Amino acid sequence: MQIDAKSAEASLADIDVIVARLKQSSFYRGASTLIIGWGALVAFGYVASSFVPREAGLIWVILNGLGLIATVATGLQYRRKGADFEWRIVIALVLFFALGLVCCRMGHFGWREIDAFWPILFMFGYALAGLWLGRAFTLLGVAIAALCFAGYLWVERWFDFYLAVVDGGGLILAGLWMRRA
Amino acid sequence: MAKADDIIHQPLRLRIMAALSAGNGSGQEFDFARLKSVTQASDGNLGSHIETLERAHYVEVERGYRGRRPRMVVRPTPQGLRAYKDHVAFLRSIIEGEMER
Repeated sequence: MQIDAKSAEASLADIDVIVARLKQSSFYRGASTLIIGWGALVAFGYVASSFVPREAGLIWVILNGLGLIATVATGLQYRRKGADFEWRIVIALVLFFALGLVCCRMGHFGWREIDAFWPILFMFGYALAGLWLGRAFTLLGVAIAALCFAGYLWVERWFDFYLAVVDGGGLILAGLWMRRA
Repeated sequence: MAKADDIIHQPLRLRIMAALSAGNGSGQEFDFARLKSVTQASDGNLGSHIETLERAHYVEVERGYRGRRPRMVVRPTPQGLRAYKDHVAFLRSIIEGEMER
């Protein structure tokens, strides 16, 4: 079989494309479990806090704590399997929580603003992360942030349920899609 | 010395072996849907090239069911991984040879 340098180069480039695609697909699959988990927590948080608004603060502290623990546990599990896990994701989550708390304190937000602000903040994080991790994250972040903001502007009643569907449901759907990548 | 492998050099079979070889290092499993997504091949095309690789003993195919849905898991054999590695080394040697000229 005759293979010239040009054809050899094209074949090697093809291999590089496959390896890069596989790397991204593996990352999406790993991240999908976390994203589905966060989606379920967030949806539950909105529904629960709409039923017991006085305890909303406590509910979110507990749910976010559970989410962080699950994120770290998933990371440890991946490491045990020999896969890479970006610990910077956990640090980024903590920094985003810190930024959110500072903004809420400085902004003197009402409950409606707080409800809309947190998902928008985190979705901007997804959108930014997507610039490095893959377009799916950017699309997911921008779409959900836009829907949350639209809800803040135009959805009066059932705002918490709207956010449960848009934010929680959006994350779950995106996670399921990523699992198929 | 590394030599060309007629079976692996076909573009889609090269992509299949590249994915299986890269995934093998990190213990990943490939079912038909995953291979289709990574190689971006059509069902029929992918199926026929997997069969060619299976006949050459470069891959092992496990056919079964997950629930009610048929599921095909494709794994590279040691022979297939060696052939892929040799073919990649051969491709590199062509480029290096060209550069030395």
